[in-house]
Amino acid sequence: MTAEIQPARRGVFRREDVAALAVFLLLAAIPLATSGYVVYILPQYMLLGVLAMSLALLWGHGGIVSFGQAAFFAIGAYAMGLVMKHLTGMAINSAYVGILVGTVGGGVTALLIGYFLFSAGVRAAYFVVATLALSIVVEQTVKSFSDITGGWNGLYVDRMTVTLGSWLELSLFDDAPIYYVVLAVVVPVYVIATALMRGRFGKIVVGIRENEDRMTALGFNVPMYKTLVFGLSGLLAGVAGSFYATHAQFAHPVNAGVLFSTQVVIWVAIGGRHSLLGSFVGAIVVASLSNYLSSIEEIQNYWPLVMGLIFIAVIVLFRGGLAGLVEKLAGKGAHGRAAGH
Amino acid sequence: MAELLVIEGLTKRFRGLVANNDVSFALAAGELRCIIGPNGAGKTTFISMISGHVVPTSGRILFKSRDITKLPVHLRARIGIGRKFQTPTVFDNLSVYENIELAVLATPTPSRGRHARIMRTLDLVRLAEQSDRMVGALAHGQRQWLEIGILLAGEAQLLLLDEPTAGMTAEETHSTGELLRRLVRELELSAIIIEHDINFIRDLKAPVTVLHLGRVLVEGSFADIERNEQVRSVYLGNA
Ligand SMILES: Nc1ncnc2c1ncn2[C@@H]1O[C@H](COP(=O)(O)OP(=O)(O)OP(=O)(O)O)[C@@H](O)[C@H]1O
Ligand SMILES: [Mg+2]
Repeated sequence: MTAEIQPARRGVFRREDVAALAVFLLLAAIPLATSGYVVYILPQYMLLGVLAMSLALLWGHGGIVSFGQAAFFAIGAYAMGLVMKHLTGMAINSAYVGILVGTVGGGVTALLIGYFLFSAGVRAAYFVVATLALSIVVEQTVKSFSDITGGWNGLYVDRMTVTLGSWLELSLFDDAPIYYVVLAVVVPVYVIATALMRGRFGKIVVGIRENEDRMTALGFNVPMYKTLVFGLSGLLAGVAGSFYATHAQFAHPVNAGVLFSTQVVIWVAIGGRHSLLGSFVGAIVVASLSNYLSSIEEIQNYWPLVMGLIFIAVIVLFRGGLAGLVEKLAGKGAHGRAAGH
Repeated sequence: MAELLVIEGLTKRFRGLVANNDVSFALAAGELRCIIGPNGAGKTTFISMISGHVVPTSGRILFKSRDITKLPVHLRARIGIGRKFQTPTVFDNLSVYENIELAVLATPTPSRGRHARIMRTLDLVRLAEQSDRMVGALAHGQRQWLEIGILLAGEAQLLLLDEPTAGMTAEETHSTGELLRRLVRELELSAIIIEHDINFIRDLKAPVTVLHLGRVLVEGSFADIERNEQVRSVYLGNA
């Protein structure tokens, strides 16, 4: 028993790290093996995977469900598009500014909203409703201010160029370069988020999920930690949105709304809300599957129904999602502990 | 001995009901004190005001000479007030180790020292063997000990213990008494213990405060209290 838990406690390697390495190596190898649509579309799905992680750390670790992830994603996407469009003729690469504004924008918006809601003691269902409202507000805003945002037509966004002073200029117009740039963003995002959630911060967040009263009585400022984890979640959604916009070359109100937020919840539930890797993979798998199902003529009209049934089956059969299932099959590892069940 | 906790004229009204009525109280550093009284006497309300969970209607609470009457719960915890609730409030879905770890994370213990500190606490409350077990699977008595361990690991100096032996066997109750006395002696902690178990209170050999209808009825040694006519009539009449 002690032998099993010791390595996890020392925080060196866990089973999930091996799985993560395998997933990222596989993703890195795909453009070497193939080209075309798969290489084009996968970076978008990886970014949806980051969006899923943004919810997983909030929901799986913090026990806080949010139907507002699309709002932060859209803030990232529109910030990227608008900055790239309007910030021209500057010495600095406007895409970098766009990413910064989109990321910080998502994070700060979440921090502010979290601050007001959590310090007022808003929880559970009321919090869910508040985040739903946020998605609606952002969707309506980008629809209404069509002069700026393109309204229902969406906003065209350029593919960014990677620059490094005067000695590097790499266009991301082709599929492979942007694929690797996105992967090079996704991997550190995963590593940093994982490290944070395994460290002191993540443990405190799990403690709050498990027993708020005990945490308060221990001296933790519970609303502050909730606000911080919500802010972190908004930050991740913002990064995902910024890169998504430049990859997809548009920012659109559908990526701001309640429906899209609900999809994020579904990806995470299927992938496994306790596992950042699980939700990342869950998003990629479900997004690919929806895409595939919607392209098959015979079931074209039914695929949302098929997805819904899969969702219900996963929730009913294994509440820990795919990650929980894998963990169970692999024998109970020590790593699931900290995330709790 | 310096006064650790001084309470002046504390009153709590819940609408019409006066749960605590002009209670004054003092606890020295390193002192162990028992609070007894029939159901509804206001014992839990009293320690809830010390921990910050209930805001007094009037009166003052001084901890280490500082007025903490209006301080929020988490800030009181940070200055050393640790509370064990009447219904054990622990992390049921986490392991015993993780429970204590969270308490250590509330203190400024550097990360290198955490593991040792957790193990020391587990030894103290005799849960080292259970380290990897889920708390939900522990026996009732062990959960009570765990909550005491959480307070210790959280570096509480004043322990507020609401019925710490509830649900324990006679044997467990006895060792809890020994543990508490040892903690007060060796770690120089202070404690206020609400209890119903007469044998346990006798074993503690600590001064007793009797609450009745929200007021302090009498204070004194266990022997004095046992002989007191008023106390006898309160217990015979109401309990
Ligand atoms: N939050 C509250 N709102 C209204 N009344 C309350 C509240 N908390 C306690 N009371 C009332 O105050 C009185 C004192 O309650 P308290 O819980 O302090 O008693 P106690 O001495 O701890 O009793 P027990 O031995 O049953 O635990 C009781 O009549 C109780 O019903
Ligand atoms: Mg009580």
